[in-house]
Amino acid sequence: MHSKNRFRQFSAHGPAAAATGAAQGAPRDDVAALQTAASLENLAVQTYQMALTLPFIGGPQAKPEVKMFAERTMMQHSEHAAAFNAAVQRLGGKPQTAPDPKYAEMVRQALPAIKTPDDAVGLAITLEDVAAQTYAKDVGLVSTAELRQLFASVAGVESMHKAILLTVQALLKANQPQLIARPPQIAELPSSAGSVGFPDAFCPTAMAAPVEEGAVK
Amino acid sequence: MSIFSRRAKPGGDAAMVISERELSELTRQLDELHESTFPPLCKGLDELTANLGAVVRQPSTRRSFFLGAAGAVALGAAAACSGGQPAAPAASRTPASPPPPQETYPGDLKMVAVAAALENLAVSAYEEVLRKVGTGELGAVPPAVATFVQTAMKQHSDHAQAWNTALSRAGKPILSDAPLSITQQQMALLAAARSVPDVAKFALNLENVAAQTYTAATTNLSDHTAIMTAATIQPVETMHAAILNFIIGEYPIPDTFIGISTALKPDSLAVR
Repeated sequence: MHSKNRFRQFSAHGPAAAATGAAQGAPRDDVAALQTAASLENLAVQTYQMALTLPFIGGPQAKPEVKMFAERTMMQHSEHAAAFNAAVQRLGGKPQTAPDPKYAEMVRQALPAIKTPDDAVGLAITLEDVAAQTYAKDVGLVSTAELRQLFASVAGVESMHKAILLTVQALLKANQPQLIARPPQIAELPSSAGSVGFPDAFCPTAMAAPVEEGAVK
Repeated sequence: MSIFSRRAKPGGDAAMVISERELSELTRQLDELHESTFPPLCKGLDELTANLGAVVRQPSTRRSFFLGAAGAVALGAAAACSGGQPAAPAASRTPASPPPPQETYPGDLKMVAVAAALENLAVSAYEEVLRKVGTGELGAVPPAVATFVQTAMKQHSDHAQAWNTALSRAGKPILSDAPLSITQQQMALLAAARSVPDVAKFALNLENVAAQTYTAATTNLSDHTAIMTAATIQPVETMHAAILNFIIGEYPIPDTFIGISTALKPDSLAVR
Protein backbone atom coordinates (compact mmCIF):
# COMPACT_ATOMS: atom_id res chain seq x y z
CA MET A 1 0.00 0.00 0.00
CA HIS A 2 1.32 3.42 -0.89
CA SER A 3 1.24 4.92 2.59
CA LYS A 4 2.73 1.84 4.19
CA ASN A 5 5.54 1.78 1.64
CA ARG A 6 6.44 5.34 2.50
CA PHE A 7 6.39 4.55 6.19
CA ARG A 8 8.59 1.53 5.58
CA GLN A 9 11.06 3.67 3.64
CA PHE A 10 11.33 6.06 6.54
CA SER A 11 11.67 3.30 9.07
CA ALA A 12 14.30 1.40 7.15
CA HIS A 13 16.52 4.42 6.73
CA GLY A 14 18.92 6.04 9.12
CA PRO A 15 22.28 5.52 10.70
CA ALA A 16 20.83 3.52 13.56
CA ALA A 17 18.62 1.23 11.54
CA ALA A 18 21.18 -1.41 10.75
CA ALA A 19 22.53 -1.48 14.25
CA THR A 20 19.24 -1.60 16.11
CA GLY A 21 16.97 -3.66 13.93
CA ALA A 22 13.30 -3.00 13.70
CA ALA A 23 11.97 -5.07 16.54
CA GLN A 24 10.90 -3.30 19.67
CA GLY A 25 11.23 -4.94 23.03
CA ALA A 26 8.28 -6.36 24.84
CA PRO A 27 7.48 -4.79 28.19
CA ARG A 28 8.99 -7.78 29.97
CA ASP A 29 12.33 -6.76 28.51
CA ASP A 30 12.12 -3.48 30.37
CA VAL A 31 13.03 -5.04 33.69
CA ALA A 32 15.92 -7.01 32.20
CA ALA A 33 17.27 -3.94 30.39
CA LEU A 34 17.13 -1.90 33.59
CA GLN A 35 18.79 -4.65 35.62
CA THR A 36 21.55 -4.98 33.04
CA ALA A 37 22.03 -1.22 33.14
CA ALA A 38 22.24 -1.32 36.93
CA SER A 39 24.80 -4.12 36.68
CA LEU A 40 26.99 -2.01 34.38
CA GLU A 41 26.70 0.90 36.80
CA ASN A 42 27.57 -1.33 39.75
CA LEU A 43 30.67 -2.49 37.93
CA ALA A 44 31.65 1.07 37.09
CA VAL A 45 31.32 2.07 40.75
CA GLN A 46 33.46 -0.87 41.84
CA THR A 47 36.08 -0.16 39.19
CA TYR A 48 36.44 3.52 40.04
CA GLN A 49 36.56 2.55 43.72
CA MET A 50 39.47 0.21 42.97
CA ALA A 51 41.13 2.80 40.74
CA LEU A 52 41.00 5.35 43.55
CA THR A 53 43.16 3.04 45.65
CA LEU A 54 45.94 3.33 43.06
CA PRO A 55 48.60 5.92 43.94
CA PHE A 56 48.35 7.66 40.56
CA ILE A 57 44.54 7.92 40.60
CA GLY A 58 43.53 8.56 44.21
CA GLY A 59 46.84 8.61 46.09
CA PRO A 60 49.64 11.08 46.61
CA GLN A 61 50.93 10.82 43.04
CA ALA A 62 47.55 11.64 41.56
CA LYS A 63 46.80 14.91 39.84
CA PRO A 64 43.94 16.63 41.71
CA GLU A 65 41.92 16.84 38.49
CA VAL A 66 42.23 13.09 37.93
CA LYS A 67 41.27 12.21 41.48
CA MET A 68 38.30 14.56 41.36
CA PHE A 69 37.15 13.10 38.06
CA ALA A 70 37.34 9.55 39.43
CA GLU A 71 35.45 10.49 42.59
CA ARG A 72 32.69 12.43 40.85
CA THR A 73 32.32 9.89 38.08
CA MET A 74 32.01 7.10 40.64
CA MET A 75 29.31 9.10 42.40
CA GLN A 76 27.44 9.70 39.15
CA HIS A 77 27.52 6.00 38.34
CA SER A 78 26.18 5.26 41.80
CA GLU A 79 23.27 7.63 41.15
CA HIS A 80 22.65 6.00 37.78
CA ALA A 81 22.51 2.58 39.43
CA ALA A 82 20.02 3.90 41.96
CA ALA A 83 17.87 5.37 39.20
CA PHE A 84 17.85 2.15 37.18
CA ASN A 85 17.05 0.07 40.23
CA ALA A 86 14.28 2.43 41.29
CA ALA A 87 12.73 1.97 37.86
CA VAL A 88 13.10 -1.80 38.20
CA GLN A 89 11.22 -1.72 41.48
CA ARG A 90 8.45 0.46 40.04
CA LEU A 91 7.94 -2.31 37.50
CA GLY A 92 7.84 -4.96 40.24
CA GLY A 93 11.31 -6.37 39.55
CA LYS A 94 14.22 -7.11 41.84
CA PRO A 95 16.97 -4.49 42.02
CA GLN A 96 20.31 -5.58 40.63
CA THR A 97 23.14 -5.18 43.12
CA ALA A 98 25.73 -7.33 41.32
CA PRO A 99 28.10 -6.23 38.55
CA ASP A 100 27.66 -7.21 34.91
CA PRO A 101 29.18 -10.70 34.75
CA LYS A 102 30.87 -10.38 31.37
CA TYR A 103 32.63 -7.11 32.03
CA ALA A 104 33.31 -7.93 35.69
CA GLU A 105 35.46 -10.77 34.43
CA MET A 106 37.16 -8.44 31.97
CA VAL A 107 37.94 -5.98 34.78
CA ARG A 108 39.18 -8.78 37.03
CA GLN A 109 41.63 -9.87 34.37
CA ALA A 110 42.72 -6.33 33.55
CA LEU A 111 43.36 -5.05 37.07
CA PRO A 112 46.74 -6.73 37.71
CA ALA A 113 48.10 -5.17 34.52
CA ILE A 114 47.18 -1.61 35.49
CA LYS A 115 50.49 0.04 36.25
CA THR A 116 50.03 3.55 34.86
CA PRO A 117 47.31 6.21 34.55
CA ASP A 118 47.08 5.36 30.88
CA ASP A 119 46.20 1.74 31.74
CA ALA A 120 43.47 2.86 34.12
CA VAL A 121 42.06 5.36 31.66
CA GLY A 122 41.92 2.71 28.94
CA LEU A 123 39.88 0.40 31.15
CA ALA A 124 37.53 3.20 32.14
CA ILE A 125 37.00 4.13 28.48
CA THR A 126 35.90 0.58 27.72
CA LEU A 127 33.37 0.56 30.55
CA GLU A 128 31.99 4.00 29.69
CA ASP A 129 31.75 3.08 26.03
CA VAL A 130 29.89 -0.16 26.68
CA ALA A 131 27.50 1.64 29.01
CA ALA A 132 26.82 4.49 26.56
CA GLN A 133 26.25 2.13 23.65
CA THR A 134 24.03 -0.14 25.72
CA TYR A 135 21.81 2.68 26.88
CA ALA A 136 21.60 4.29 23.44
CA LYS A 137 20.41 0.98 22.03
CA ASP A 138 18.05 0.38 24.95
CA VAL A 139 16.27 3.64 24.14
CA GLY A 140 14.85 1.79 21.16
CA LEU A 141 14.06 -1.38 23.07
CA VAL A 142 12.15 -0.29 26.14
CA SER A 143 8.41 0.15 25.98
CA THR A 144 7.65 3.49 27.64
CA ALA A 145 8.56 7.11 27.08
CA GLU A 146 9.68 7.41 30.71
CA LEU A 147 12.21 4.62 30.28
CA ARG A 148 13.40 5.98 26.94
CA GLN A 149 14.15 9.28 28.63
CA LEU A 150 15.97 7.58 31.49
CA PHE A 151 18.22 5.58 29.18
CA ALA A 152 18.89 8.56 26.91
CA SER A 153 19.60 10.80 29.86
CA VAL A 154 22.23 8.43 31.25
CA ALA A 155 23.71 7.55 27.82
CA GLY A 156 24.55 11.20 27.35
CA VAL A 157 26.41 11.40 30.65
CA GLU A 158 28.43 8.22 30.03
CA SER A 159 29.37 9.68 26.65
CA MET A 160 30.64 12.80 28.40
CA HIS A 161 32.78 10.63 30.68
CA LYS A 162 34.12 8.87 27.60
CA ALA A 163 34.87 12.14 25.80
CA ILE A 164 36.98 13.43 28.67
CA LEU A 165 38.72 10.11 29.15
CA LEU A 166 39.60 9.95 25.45
CA THR A 167 41.06 13.45 25.68
CA VAL A 168 43.01 12.60 28.82
CA GLN A 169 44.26 9.41 27.19
CA ALA A 170 45.50 11.38 24.17
CA LEU A 171 47.35 13.84 26.40
CA LEU A 172 48.93 11.00 28.36
CA LYS A 173 50.00 9.24 25.19
CA ALA A 174 51.48 12.51 23.93
CA ASN A 175 53.44 12.69 27.20
CA GLN A 176 51.74 15.94 28.13
CA PRO A 177 50.08 15.14 31.47
CA GLN A 178 50.67 18.71 32.60
CA LEU A 179 47.92 19.78 30.20
CA ILE A 180 45.35 17.80 32.19
CA ALA A 181 44.43 20.82 34.24
CA ARG A 182 41.51 23.00 35.13
CA PRO A 183 41.40 25.46 33.57
CA PRO A 184 43.57 24.03 30.82
CA GLN A 185 46.25 25.98 29.02
CA ILE A 186 44.24 25.82 25.85
CA ALA A 187 46.88 27.55 23.77
CA GLU A 188 49.23 24.68 24.60
CA LEU A 189 46.80 21.87 23.81
CA PRO A 190 47.66 19.88 20.69
CA SER A 191 45.29 20.35 17.80
CA SER A 192 43.98 16.80 18.14
CA ALA A 193 42.72 17.53 21.66
CA GLY A 194 39.89 19.44 20.03
CA SER A 195 38.44 16.36 18.33
CA VAL A 196 39.78 13.17 19.87
CA GLY A 197 36.97 13.13 22.44
CA PHE A 198 34.16 12.61 19.94
CA PRO A 199 35.33 10.26 17.21
CA ASP A 200 31.91 9.33 15.78
CA ALA A 201 29.13 11.46 14.33
CA PHE A 202 26.60 8.94 15.65
CA CYS A 203 26.90 6.91 18.84
CA PRO A 204 27.61 3.34 17.80
CA THR A 205 25.63 0.50 19.36
CA ALA A 206 27.62 -2.54 18.22
CA MET A 207 29.17 -2.98 21.67
CA ALA A 208 25.86 -2.76 23.49
CA ALA A 209 25.36 -5.38 26.16
CA PRO A 210 22.45 -7.72 25.42
CA VAL A 211 19.30 -6.95 27.39
CA GLU A 212 19.57 -10.12 29.49
CA GLU A 213 23.30 -9.91 30.19
CA GLY A 214 23.02 -8.42 33.65
CA ALA A 215 19.46 -9.40 34.48
CA VAL A 216 18.69 -10.90 37.89
CA LYS A 217 18.49 -14.66 37.37
CA MET B 1 21.46 39.70 5.32
CA SER B 2 20.53 36.37 6.77
CA ILE B 3 23.40 34.15 7.65
CA PHE B 4 21.59 31.38 5.82
CA SER B 5 21.46 33.23 2.54
CA ARG B 6 24.90 31.90 1.60
CA ARG B 7 23.62 28.36 1.65
CA ALA B 8 21.81 26.55 -1.09
CA LYS B 9 18.21 25.64 -0.60
CA PRO B 10 17.90 22.47 -2.64
CA GLY B 11 14.56 21.62 -1.13
CA GLY B 12 12.93 24.83 -2.16
CA ASP B 13 10.74 23.30 -4.83
CA ALA B 14 10.52 19.83 -3.39
CA ALA B 15 7.09 20.26 -1.85
CA MET B 16 5.31 20.98 -5.12
CA VAL B 17 7.01 18.16 -7.03
CA ILE B 18 6.22 15.64 -4.36
CA SER B 19 2.66 16.88 -3.95
CA GLU B 20 2.05 16.30 -7.63
CA ARG B 21 3.43 12.82 -7.35
CA GLU B 22 1.29 12.14 -4.33
CA LEU B 23 -1.74 13.44 -6.13
CA SER B 24 -1.06 11.22 -9.11
CA GLU B 25 -0.53 8.22 -6.90
CA LEU B 26 -3.68 8.86 -4.91
CA THR B 27 -5.63 9.30 -8.13
CA ARG B 28 -4.21 6.07 -9.50
CA GLN B 29 -5.17 4.24 -6.30
CA LEU B 30 -8.66 5.67 -6.43
CA ASP B 31 -9.01 4.51 -10.04
CA GLU B 32 -7.86 1.05 -9.03
CA LEU B 33 -10.38 0.98 -6.25
CA HIS B 34 -13.14 1.80 -8.69
CA GLU B 35 -12.01 -0.69 -11.28
CA SER B 36 -11.14 -3.74 -9.25
CA THR B 37 -12.41 -3.62 -5.72
CA PHE B 38 -15.10 -1.04 -5.71
CA PRO B 39 -18.26 -3.12 -5.20
CA PRO B 40 -17.13 -5.33 -2.30
CA LEU B 41 -15.20 -2.48 -0.71
CA CYS B 42 -18.19 -0.25 -0.22
CA LYS B 43 -19.56 -2.01 2.85
CA GLY B 44 -16.19 -2.11 4.57
CA LEU B 45 -15.48 1.49 3.73
CA ASP B 46 -18.75 2.57 5.23
CA GLU B 47 -17.64 1.03 8.50
CA LEU B 48 -14.12 2.42 8.30
CA THR B 49 -14.93 5.94 7.22
CA ALA B 50 -15.63 7.29 10.68
CA ASN B 51 -12.41 5.93 12.15
CA LEU B 52 -10.24 7.11 9.30
CA GLY B 53 -11.90 10.48 9.34
CA ALA B 54 -10.95 10.85 12.97
CA VAL B 55 -7.40 9.95 12.12
CA VAL B 56 -7.26 12.52 9.35
CA ARG B 57 -8.47 15.21 11.76
CA GLN B 58 -5.84 14.29 14.35
CA PRO B 59 -2.44 14.07 12.69
CA SER B 60 -0.70 13.76 16.03
CA THR B 61 1.64 10.99 15.04
CA ARG B 62 3.59 10.03 12.03
CA ARG B 63 1.55 6.88 11.58
CA SER B 64 -1.64 8.87 11.70
CA PHE B 65 -0.25 11.19 9.02
CA PHE B 66 0.19 8.30 6.63
CA LEU B 67 -3.13 6.82 7.63
CA GLY B 68 -4.47 10.24 6.85
CA ALA B 69 -3.31 9.97 3.26
CA ALA B 70 -4.83 6.53 2.97
CA GLY B 71 -7.91 7.81 4.71
CA ALA B 72 -8.34 10.51 2.11
CA VAL B 73 -8.50 7.82 -0.56
CA ALA B 74 -10.86 5.75 1.52
CA LEU B 75 -13.10 8.69 2.25
CA GLY B 76 -13.22 9.55 -1.43
CA ALA B 77 -14.13 6.00 -2.27
CA ALA B 78 -16.70 5.96 0.49
CA ALA B 79 -18.31 9.06 -0.87
CA ALA B 80 -18.55 7.34 -4.23
CA CYS B 81 -20.15 4.35 -2.52
CA SER B 82 -23.06 6.51 -1.53
CA GLY B 83 -23.84 7.12 -5.17
CA GLY B 84 -27.04 5.04 -4.93
CA GLN B 85 -28.58 7.60 -2.67
CA PRO B 86 -29.34 11.08 -3.88
CA ALA B 87 -26.85 13.53 -2.55
CA ALA B 88 -28.23 16.54 -0.73
CA PRO B 89 -28.11 19.72 -2.79
CA ALA B 90 -25.13 21.81 -1.86
CA ALA B 91 -27.29 24.86 -1.24
CA SER B 92 -29.29 23.10 1.44
CA ARG B 93 -26.23 22.08 3.48
CA THR B 94 -25.09 23.99 6.52
CA PRO B 95 -22.06 25.97 5.44
CA ALA B 96 -19.04 24.01 6.61
CA SER B 97 -16.23 25.81 8.36
CA PRO B 98 -13.10 25.89 6.23
CA PRO B 99 -10.72 23.03 6.97
CA PRO B 100 -7.69 23.98 9.03
CA PRO B 101 -4.59 24.60 6.95
CA GLN B 102 -2.52 21.47 6.58
CA GLU B 103 0.77 21.39 8.38
CA THR B 104 3.89 20.99 6.26
CA TYR B 105 5.34 18.63 8.84
CA PRO B 106 2.57 16.71 10.61
CA GLY B 107 3.02 14.33 13.51
CA ASP B 108 6.54 13.06 14.15
CA LEU B 109 7.79 14.96 11.13
CA LYS B 110 7.50 18.23 13.02
CA MET B 111 10.05 17.08 15.58
CA VAL B 112 12.21 15.72 12.77
CA ALA B 113 12.05 19.14 11.12
CA VAL B 114 12.96 20.83 14.43
CA ALA B 115 15.98 18.53 14.67
CA ALA B 116 17.06 19.28 11.09
CA ALA B 117 16.68 23.00 11.70
CA LEU B 118 18.59 22.81 14.97
CA GLU B 119 21.47 21.02 13.28
CA ASN B 120 21.47 23.62 10.51
CA LEU B 121 21.62 26.31 13.18
CA ALA B 122 24.64 24.61 14.74
CA VAL B 123 26.38 24.32 11.36
CA SER B 124 25.72 27.97 10.58
CA ALA B 125 26.89 29.02 14.01
CA TYR B 126 30.17 27.15 13.65
CA GLU B 127 30.56 28.56 10.13
CA GLU B 128 30.18 32.00 11.62
CA VAL B 129 32.77 31.17 14.27
CA LEU B 130 35.21 30.15 11.55
CA ARG B 131 34.50 33.41 9.76
CA LYS B 132 35.27 35.30 12.95
CA VAL B 133 38.47 33.29 13.32
CA GLY B 134 39.44 34.19 9.78
CA THR B 135 38.91 37.90 10.31
CA GLY B 136 40.74 37.93 13.62
CA GLU B 137 37.67 39.05 15.58
CA LEU B 138 38.35 36.48 18.29
CA GLY B 139 42.04 37.20 18.71
CA ALA B 140 44.47 34.31 18.76
CA VAL B 141 42.61 31.02 18.44
CA PRO B 142 44.31 27.91 19.86
CA PRO B 143 44.70 25.05 17.38
CA ALA B 144 42.61 22.71 19.56
CA VAL B 145 39.70 25.14 19.47
CA ALA B 146 39.88 25.47 15.69
CA THR B 147 39.92 21.68 15.37
CA PHE B 148 36.95 21.40 17.70
CA VAL B 149 34.92 23.86 15.64
CA GLN B 150 35.67 22.16 12.34
CA THR B 151 34.99 18.65 13.64
CA ALA B 152 31.81 19.54 15.51
CA MET B 153 30.52 21.44 12.49
CA LYS B 154 31.07 18.40 10.27
CA GLN B 155 29.22 16.15 12.71
CA HIS B 156 26.29 18.55 12.94
CA SER B 157 26.20 18.58 9.16
CA ASP B 158 26.00 14.78 9.21
CA HIS B 159 23.17 14.98 11.72
CA ALA B 160 21.30 17.49 9.59
CA GLN B 161 21.69 15.21 6.60
CA ALA B 162 20.25 12.27 8.54
CA TRP B 163 17.18 14.25 9.56
CA ASN B 164 16.73 15.76 6.10
CA THR B 165 16.95 12.34 4.52
CA ALA B 166 14.11 11.27 6.78
CA LEU B 167 12.07 14.29 5.69
CA SER B 168 12.83 13.66 2.04
CA ARG B 169 11.89 10.01 2.22
CA ALA B 170 8.63 10.99 3.85
CA GLY B 171 7.94 13.22 0.86
CA LYS B 172 8.46 16.45 2.76
CA PRO B 173 10.61 19.48 1.95
CA ILE B 174 14.07 19.28 3.43
CA LEU B 175 15.35 22.15 5.54
CA SER B 176 18.53 23.94 4.59
CA ASP B 177 18.10 26.75 7.09
CA ALA B 178 16.98 27.09 10.70
CA PRO B 179 13.36 28.24 10.99
CA LEU B 180 13.25 28.06 14.79
CA SER B 181 11.98 30.37 17.48
CA ILE B 182 15.50 30.64 18.93
CA THR B 183 17.47 31.29 15.76
CA GLN B 184 17.44 35.08 15.71
CA GLN B 185 18.38 35.35 19.37
CA GLN B 186 21.14 32.77 19.07
CA MET B 187 22.73 34.41 16.05
CA ALA B 188 22.58 37.78 17.80
CA LEU B 189 24.40 36.29 20.77
CA LEU B 190 27.06 34.88 18.49
CA ALA B 191 27.42 38.19 16.68
CA ALA B 192 28.24 39.80 20.02
CA ALA B 193 30.95 37.23 20.88
CA ARG B 194 34.41 38.81 20.88
CA SER B 195 36.70 36.14 22.30
CA VAL B 196 37.30 32.40 22.33
CA PRO B 197 35.67 32.00 25.77
CA ASP B 198 32.63 33.98 24.53
CA VAL B 199 32.28 31.67 21.56
CA ALA B 200 32.87 28.54 23.64
CA LYS B 201 30.13 29.54 26.08
CA PHE B 202 27.76 30.27 23.23
CA ALA B 203 28.51 26.89 21.63
CA LEU B 204 28.17 25.11 24.95
CA ASN B 205 24.67 26.48 25.38
CA LEU B 206 23.70 25.42 21.87
CA GLU B 207 25.10 21.92 22.36
CA ASN B 208 23.24 21.60 25.66
CA VAL B 209 20.02 22.68 23.98
CA ALA B 210 20.59 20.07 21.28
CA ALA B 211 21.35 17.31 23.79
CA GLN B 212 18.25 18.14 25.82
CA THR B 213 16.12 18.40 22.69
CA TYR B 214 17.12 14.89 21.65
CA THR B 215 16.60 13.55 25.15
CA ALA B 216 13.07 14.92 25.10
CA ALA B 217 12.57 13.76 21.51
CA THR B 218 13.01 10.15 22.58
CA THR B 219 9.79 10.60 24.51
CA ASN B 220 7.70 12.54 22.00
CA LEU B 221 8.63 10.74 18.79
CA SER B 222 6.72 7.58 17.92
CA ASP B 223 8.65 6.20 14.94
CA HIS B 224 11.31 3.72 16.03
CA THR B 225 13.97 4.87 13.61
CA ALA B 226 13.39 8.50 14.46
CA ILE B 227 13.74 7.63 18.15
CA MET B 228 17.00 5.79 17.48
CA THR B 229 18.35 8.61 15.36
CA ALA B 230 17.77 10.97 18.29
CA ALA B 231 19.25 8.42 20.70
CA THR B 232 22.46 8.07 18.68
CA ILE B 233 22.92 11.80 18.04
CA GLN B 234 22.28 12.95 21.62
CA PRO B 235 25.45 11.37 23.04
CA VAL B 236 27.53 13.13 20.40
CA GLU B 237 26.11 16.51 21.40
CA THR B 238 26.89 15.78 25.05
CA MET B 239 30.47 14.91 24.06
CA HIS B 240 30.78 18.26 22.32
CA ALA B 241 29.46 19.86 25.51
CA ALA B 242 31.97 18.00 27.69
CA ILE B 243 34.91 19.23 25.62
CA LEU B 244 33.55 22.78 25.61
CA ASN B 245 33.24 22.65 29.40
CA PHE B 246 36.86 21.50 29.52
CA ILE B 247 37.97 24.34 27.25
CA ILE B 248 36.11 26.91 29.34
CA GLY B 249 37.59 25.51 32.52
CA GLU B 250 34.34 24.26 34.02
CA TYR B 251 33.91 20.77 35.41
CA PRO B 252 33.25 18.82 32.19
CA ILE B 253 30.35 16.66 33.39
CA PRO B 254 28.40 18.90 35.74
CA ASP B 255 25.16 16.90 35.84
CA THR B 256 24.38 13.27 36.62
CA PHE B 257 21.46 13.16 34.18
CA ILE B 258 20.79 15.06 30.95
CA GLY B 259 17.75 17.21 31.60
CA ILE B 260 15.07 18.48 29.26
CA SER B 261 14.32 21.93 30.66
CA THR B 262 15.88 23.75 27.70
CA ALA B 263 14.72 21.25 25.06
CA LEU B 264 13.12 22.63 21.93
CA LYS B 265 9.58 21.41 21.47
CA PRO B 266 7.82 20.73 18.18
CA ASP B 267 6.16 24.13 18.32
CA SER B 268 9.61 25.74 18.16
CA LEU B 269 9.44 25.25 14.42
CA ALA B 270 8.62 28.49 12.62
CA VAL B 271 7.06 26.71 9.67
CA ARG B 272 3.36 26.06 9.42
